[in-house]
Amino acid sequence: MTRVLVIEDDAQTAAEIAAALGDHGYQVECAGTGREGLLKAATESFEAVVLDRMLPDGLDGLGVLTTLRATGNEVPVLVLSALSGVDERVRGLKAGGDDYLIKPFEFLELTARLDVLVRRRAGPQREVVLRVGTLEMDLLTRTVRRSGQPIDLLPREYRLLEYLMRHAGQVVTRTMMFEEVWHYHYDEPTNVIDVHVGKLRRKIELPGTAPLIHTVRGSGYVLHAPD
Amino acid sequence: MSFMRLIDLPRTSSFRLALLFLALFGISSAVLFGFLYLRTQQFLLLHVDTWLIREAPEPQVRVPEIVRRFDAHLVANPDRDHVFALYDGRGQHLAGDPLPMPTRIPVYDQPFDFRVPVENGRTRFRGIAHRLQGGELVLVAQNMYETREFDEAFVNAALWCGVLTMTLGLAGALIVGAGTVRRFDAVALAIQRIVSGDLSRRLPSHGTSGDLDRLAHVVNGMLDDIERLMQDVKGVCDGIAHDLRTPLTRMLAGLERARRRASSTDEYATAIDDAIVEMRSVLKTFSALLRIAEVEDGARHAGFSIVDLETVARDVTEFYEPLADEKDIVLSFACAGAPPFAMNGDSSLLFEAIGNLVDNAIKFTPPRGRIAVDVTHRPDGLGVSVTDTGIGIGAGEREAVLRRFHRSEKSRHTPGNGLGLSLVAAVARLHGMSLTIEDAVPGCRVALLRPLSSPREDQQFRGKDIMAGEILRASKAS
Repeated sequence: MTRVLVIEDDAQTAAEIAAALGDHGYQVECAGTGREGLLKAATESFEAVVLDRMLPDGLDGLGVLTTLRATGNEVPVLVLSALSGVDERVRGLKAGGDDYLIKPFEFLELTARLDVLVRRRAGPQREVVLRVGTLEMDLLTRTVRRSGQPIDLLPREYRLLEYLMRHAGQVVTRTMMFEEVWHYHYDEPTNVIDVHVGKLRRKIELPGTAPLIHTVRGSGYVLHAPD
Repeated sequence: MSFMRLIDLPRTSSFRLALLFLALFGISSAVLFGFLYLRTQQFLLLHVDTWLIREAPEPQVRVPEIVRRFDAHLVANPDRDHVFALYDGRGQHLAGDPLPMPTRIPVYDQPFDFRVPVENGRTRFRGIAHRLQGGELVLVAQNMYETREFDEAFVNAALWCGVLTMTLGLAGALIVGAGTVRRFDAVALAIQRIVSGDLSRRLPSHGTSGDLDRLAHVVNGMLDDIERLMQDVKGVCDGIAHDLRTPLTRMLAGLERARRRASSTDEYATAIDDAIVEMRSVLKTFSALLRIAEVEDGARHAGFSIVDLETVARDVTEFYEPLADEKDIVLSFACAGAPPFAMNGDSSLLFEAIGNLVDNAIKFTPPRGRIAVDVTHRPDGLGVSVTDTGIGIGAGEREAVLRRFHRSEKSRHTPGNGLGLSLVAAVARLHGMSLTIEDAVPGCRVALLRPLSSPREDQQFRGKDIMAGEILRASKAS
């Protein structure tokens, strides 16, 4: 079971995060202060750390993060913050954070990002062909086939599909897609992403077959083969 | 002006300055008068001494000759102002003017001052004395009464001039000081009114280009800005109140209804879902507001790097293409002018700003319309514009659309929070770009232009709000 450490000083928020991550299938350990969190992160083994940016008692999130990295601990860290400034984001990532999420957030966003971090740690994939059910993507020739039938995609549709296929079975949110496919960042991307996904859906899904791209609770998508 | 103010007068800088100048003038005048007085004195004495030496009888002249000359002179000039007198060894008068011999003669054959009692009271004399071989004393002297008179007149004139100057100077200082006190009082009163809340009040100005007027002019300009910003803040508060209260009210009503009526899990779930949707919209508005504040604060400079405007605009066009397609709108991109199209900026913010413009254009352009995104690099600057064939923005509304939460009548029924163009304006300002809204008949053209003469890349554009008019400059090179 995947173990995640949550370092958050607000007990109720910590409980909510723990509950959400528990529902998602993670085994959650909580720490209420930076020192406790640092101690746990250093002595126990976790697949990922969810770290609040602002912690009491002198050792704040960035302090925990820099100390952790200074000791050579490379556990993926997702920084949570109520500070939305881009400077804060840059600082959090520079200090060694792997991702940055601004409060308030949807738990879907948190779990989806955490999944990506945990999975990324499993090692980079070097496939030449991506396969999900009968959908096939040749990364060398940049062609896509569904049940052997070639599908004509625009470059942006290809990039979107590649991202979905690389994270097949994982929920990805609009924000994540916007960041990874279009390489821009802002916290409230428009629902134009939905239009893109809709177009892609119409191209790769054949009449009479089960859908491959599923919408998750309004703001996320998951690509997986029909059961 | 009150009594208290009159007491304050000596403390005013203009009064003190006037006094200082008065003192300087007085001292220099005194020095000048003193110098003139001394020189005149010396000249007069020299004049007298020359006459004395000239008129004194030569040593070889005999006593009888002296007696003859002096008596002749007495007959010819009875005025007693010019004295020629001869005394014997005991001081008895022998010939010439019957002036008593000076009681003390400090030096012979040199001019000296002496006093002797005479009936007309003119007792001061200057003379030269010579002792003859027979013991007789020859005295040639001149009455100094006229010289004294001149002296007194001179000193009197100087004194009166001084008194007059001091009086006039003091009066002038009082008038100037009082005038300044009055003007400062008016300014202080105006400032007090402004501090107590009357923001429409302005500092009084006399329409001249005096120093106080120039200051008042600058302060008034600042007050204009502050007043506009305050109105802006008030508008934002009203907007927040309206745009956040409405969904919150709906959410509360929905939840209360579920509590009252819902009987099944499904009904509760629906109520919760509805609440979540409302909550999301509140959060969205909230974070949009925070973002605008953050951008306006100039705090986003950390994300600045060299950005290719052409790439960003092309990405925006590509991103929004499917949305335009769905409405059967042709969205095109063109780039004119010589590369590079690079500028210092935040690519995500520029993407969002241009994206907002395109999003708006798609929203307000009817099906089968056209939207053009153009990046231009002309001598006047590097810019990007979005031109549509939509409903356009009325000339009177062009300033208002940039305000937070502004929704025009035409856009009342389209989705949105009225924050899009505010964010565009804030991003433009952060990047030192001007924001222009023009007619494109039909439709409108919104252009962001970064003047090439723009100051330093990382210049912060604070405090200057957008000005009204045909051209809305979102930034001002300062």
